[in-house]
Amino acid sequence: MINNYIETFSKYQGQLLNAFIETIDMMFTAMVFTILFGMVFGFIMFITRADGIYRNKLMYFLVSGVLNVLRSIPYILFIIVIIPFNRLLIGTGFGVDASKIPLSLIGISTFARFVEQDFLDVNKNIYETSYALGANTLQYLTHFLLVEARSGLILSFTSTTISLLSYSTVMGIIGGGGLGYLAISEGYQNFNYSLMWIIIILMIVLVHFVQTTGNTISRKYDKR
Amino acid sequence: MIKIENVSKNFLINGKEERVIIDFNININKKEIFGLVGETGSGKSTLLRMLNGFIEPDCGKIYLMDRELNKESKHELVRDTSMIFQDFNLLGNLNVLDNVLLATKFRKGNKEDLIKRAREILEFVGLSDFERSYTRTLSGGQKQRVAIARTLMTSPKIILCDEPTSALDDKMSYEILKLLKEINEKFETTIVIVSHDISVIKALCSRVAIIEGGKIVEVLSLNPKEIHPISYKEALISD
Repeated sequence: MINNYIETFSKYQGQLLNAFIETIDMMFTAMVFTILFGMVFGFIMFITRADGIYRNKLMYFLVSGVLNVLRSIPYILFIIVIIPFNRLLIGTGFGVDASKIPLSLIGISTFARFVEQDFLDVNKNIYETSYALGANTLQYLTHFLLVEARSGLILSFTSTTISLLSYSTVMGIIGGGGLGYLAISEGYQNFNYSLMWIIIILMIVLVHFVQTTGNTISRKYDKR
Repeated sequence: MIKIENVSKNFLINGKEERVIIDFNININKKEIFGLVGETGSGKSTLLRMLNGFIEPDCGKIYLMDRELNKESKHELVRDTSMIFQDFNLLGNLNVLDNVLLATKFRKGNKEDLIKRAREILEFVGLSDFERSYTRTLSGGQKQRVAIARTLMTSPKIILCDEPTSALDDKMSYEILKLLKEINEKFETTIVIVSHDISVIKALCSRVAIIEGGKIVEVLSLNPKEIHPISYKEALISD
């Protein structure tokens, strides 16, 4: 049985490597957009919510509403309905590059909610302290909120990354490729269950690695 | 130094407009330690937050150092004031030195000079050996000393203290009160202190405003005595 797995691994190692690179490619772009925009939208929601420092019902409703819509559409349907948007943005609806768009959007909507929650967990009096020390709103974000929320944000980003890894496995339906697509097309649909299990084990190792790394970094930066 | 003219403030509490501060008029002199006493919810902390512009009055005017405190001037004037909080409000992810240096991040200054000054201030507050410590390892009194050191970094002309000793035991309170007194004498800083603890007010303040039902009922002149540490035994057997 083990020999069968070793044989399959040897036979498909080239394809596995390509699929792994495709997954990393999709993930990297999505993670960059997720951290940038997720942080911005999370901060906007945090300051505009009912008890926020710049209370603005309309702004909160709009940002929160759009993020909720993105998260509530079943992901496999979301990938399909967003194809015209992919075309509009990068000129094609299919392929690895097009896959990065829905993956980034779902990452942003998930992470922004985490960011809002992580900021809410920070001692509320810190805003008054920042004001009393002469900081403006941006300095409040960079020198106070991010400093105090950093370990929570690292864990939240870790969870989002793992979710993105899971979402990336279905990108095959628009030609996104990746490990998940290889497991389904070459493994499950071609009755090559050894390949499917090899990829499942690879994904488990990958998730474990991401989570352990996230936990370690978070612990390192948590001095509270 | 601080002039409060006909200041009032209402808050919407459970959908009902409540008058928290009613027509306050106070003059606080330079180098004075001025106390505000009153029951919980009497508006003393609100007044303190109006003095650095964090809360705006509904009507009336506040002058700091002869300048009117308003939307335009508050970000400039707040830099000449500093606040000490009941719960210290230190950043747990920063060490003692970085907490003290925090206020200087929003002001110009040579980094090395600022670090030197922070170390001098830490020595003044008796925390030289703790500059690399994180706040979770400090006692309540030590945390408040860090907060005071942070306050001193910007050389404020006015220090606003909101119940600075209420989270501390008697011995720690004594240390903090002594430190505030030293700051007032050494740096000629005006101090406004809110406390429900009469002994704190008696130990420090030359004048005190008594607030009841949102109004100042009386401003008393006091004769603060030298602050002495008191043991638990002394505290228990004294009248």
